[in-house]
Amino acid sequence: MTIATKIQTEAEDGFARSFAQAGFGATQRAAFERFARTGLPTRRLESWHYSDLRGKLRTAPPLAATPGPDDLLFARAERDLRAAPETLKLVLLDGVFCAELSDQSGALSGLRIRALASLPPADPAAILLAELAGLADDPLLDLNAAFSRDGLVIEIAEGAQIVQPLEIIALCGVTGAQSRFSRNLVRLGAGAKASLLETRAEGVGGFGDSALLLALGPGAELDYACRSEGGAPVDVQNIVARLDEQAQLRATALIADAPFLRRQWSVLCRGENAEVQLSGATLLSQQNHADTTLTMTHDAPSCVSRETFKYVLADQANGVFQGRIVVPPHAQKTDGKMMCRGLLLSDNAAMSVKPELEIFADDVACGHGAACAKLDAAQIFYMESRGIPKPEAQDILIEAFASESFDILHDEFLREILQADLARILATGVFA
Amino acid sequence: MLDIENLRVKIAGKTIIDGLNLKVDAGQVAAIMGPNGSGKSTLSYVIAGRADYEVTEGSIKLDGVDLLDKTPAERAALGIFLSFQYPLEIPGVATMTFLKAALNAQRRARDEGEMLTPDFMKKVRAAAARLNISQDMLKRAVNLGFSGGEKKRMEILQMALLEPRFAILDEMDSGLDIDALRVCADGVNALRSPERGLLVITHYQRLLDYIAPDVVHVMSAGKIVRSGGPELALELEKSGYADYASEAA
Repeated sequence: MTIATKIQTEAEDGFARSFAQAGFGATQRAAFERFARTGLPTRRLESWHYSDLRGKLRTAPPLAATPGPDDLLFARAERDLRAAPETLKLVLLDGVFCAELSDQSGALSGLRIRALASLPPADPAAILLAELAGLADDPLLDLNAAFSRDGLVIEIAEGAQIVQPLEIIALCGVTGAQSRFSRNLVRLGAGAKASLLETRAEGVGGFGDSALLLALGPGAELDYACRSEGGAPVDVQNIVARLDEQAQLRATALIADAPFLRRQWSVLCRGENAEVQLSGATLLSQQNHADTTLTMTHDAPSCVSRETFKYVLADQANGVFQGRIVVPPHAQKTDGKMMCRGLLLSDNAAMSVKPELEIFADDVACGHGAACAKLDAAQIFYMESRGIPKPEAQDILIEAFASESFDILHDEFLREILQADLARILATGVFA
Repeated sequence: MLDIENLRVKIAGKTIIDGLNLKVDAGQVAAIMGPNGSGKSTLSYVIAGRADYEVTEGSIKLDGVDLLDKTPAERAALGIFLSFQYPLEIPGVATMTFLKAALNAQRRARDEGEMLTPDFMKKVRAAAARLNISQDMLKRAVNLGFSGGEKKRMEILQMALLEPRFAILDEMDSGLDIDALRVCADGVNALRSPERGLLVITHYQRLLDYIAPDVVHVMSAGKIVRSGGPELALELEKSGYADYASEAA
């Protein structure tokens, strides 16, 4: 295979060899060629300035093999440990849809779930997937497109109201040091409504590069909560969302124990009066590094977006938030507000925040803010004076700070799951 | 009960409390009066255990137990309660969560076991009703957006729930109108008991019309300069603190 490339590093070379050996078709080859034109991002690429992916990913772990019996056994135990109760469980094992560990979805009308691998190339879902991926421009999304063999295709019919939350559970098999790619589509037809929980625990070793592509039809509503705990040593999560008129997306994330995580959002409002609320609570300790980078494009008039991201950083942890609100000339009456707040629990923790507004319309209300602080000593003393020991007082303050992120969700069930996770994380005493 | 001997306290190198002696017996209500800057509030913080004060000499004991090597939470579990002059707002923390955490932390420290939620709710509701604290206030975040009077009533509610052995009321009357003052004072008086000591810190005699003290101490330049009965407060109201300022200097 000859490609005009910027492939230089050992890791890039490794990916090129893996790709050549895997024998993917033309579409995936095109995606790899796009990746090869830029290679792994360096810090010189502005959008990757605060996260040194190339430095972190020295070699390309081999592509995850098709899961075997041992992997299933391992993942079953992980699923039982991590999955939420009462959800419709859909398990991805090393990036591959695993029917044996997943619930049957037949009983829910208006819901269609397929494995990406089973999709004919001309299937409308396959076309939609490519269309959505094209909205974002990033080498890691290209790498994901090149290598993904499978994932979930979840389609919710027009007007369907799916009450039971869907839970995508991304797990790894027994062999830790592998590269995992999965590509997932969630499409909501006009007026459809659903709740999606994503439980990510592909840790242990290796590299993860996943994509979640969301398409919300007119008036559709999606509550989406991601909990990402114990990620791979290098983990990239790509999320692309497109909203038609009056669609509503409420998305939050609870991120913890992330050795090196990049979570990148690309959201496009293409219909009038669409509403987007994005938030997240990231709790990091030791030498954890987590980066949330998002682009919110208001491509139609009168859309509303709110982005609120919170970071709690202990030890030598490193938090990164980059947010850009883009308003082209025709998107009048745009209402966009972005906020990032960091709580620094240690003198050695660091937070980098870069909010940006790109506004070309004149009748808009857009704003952004960022603030970093320590815990308030006076508040802690007040609680201590009532008998609450200092570590518990700190936990109460951290919980209050972080859990506000979950308030955007309408689905109380998802909120409670994240609250419980947060309480469990704080109970470990890492942040007290 | 509370026994302070030869207490010296510095903050940022400056001496604020300078050889203070004070005894308050069980069942007694003691008032400390004094001009601005005499060290009254510092004294209350030092008893409660706030950091950034340096105790260079002396001791503070409650029922013979030395408090100075105890954390603020340990002091609270031993029975110290400070009603703050300016109660803190804690956004995001629900009042009920806070009250329950405080009560149960103290109970755990005393090996009493946690209180069950229904019993806790009953106790809070009863205390809130006596202090005209609405259910709506209890649903809000701790002190967030409360008026001065509401904050002070919430302090007394906490005192009623935690049932301290020894309570310090730091300028309870500041920011209160007459009606709110009466409600708070009634709340405090309901908690007077032969087993409990109270230290009332104030600028003005007015508060002492509502919470009648057994003893009045005058504090100036970091020490107690005069002690007497309730009549001393009335005398101060007439003559002011000028005499004591010069005496201390």
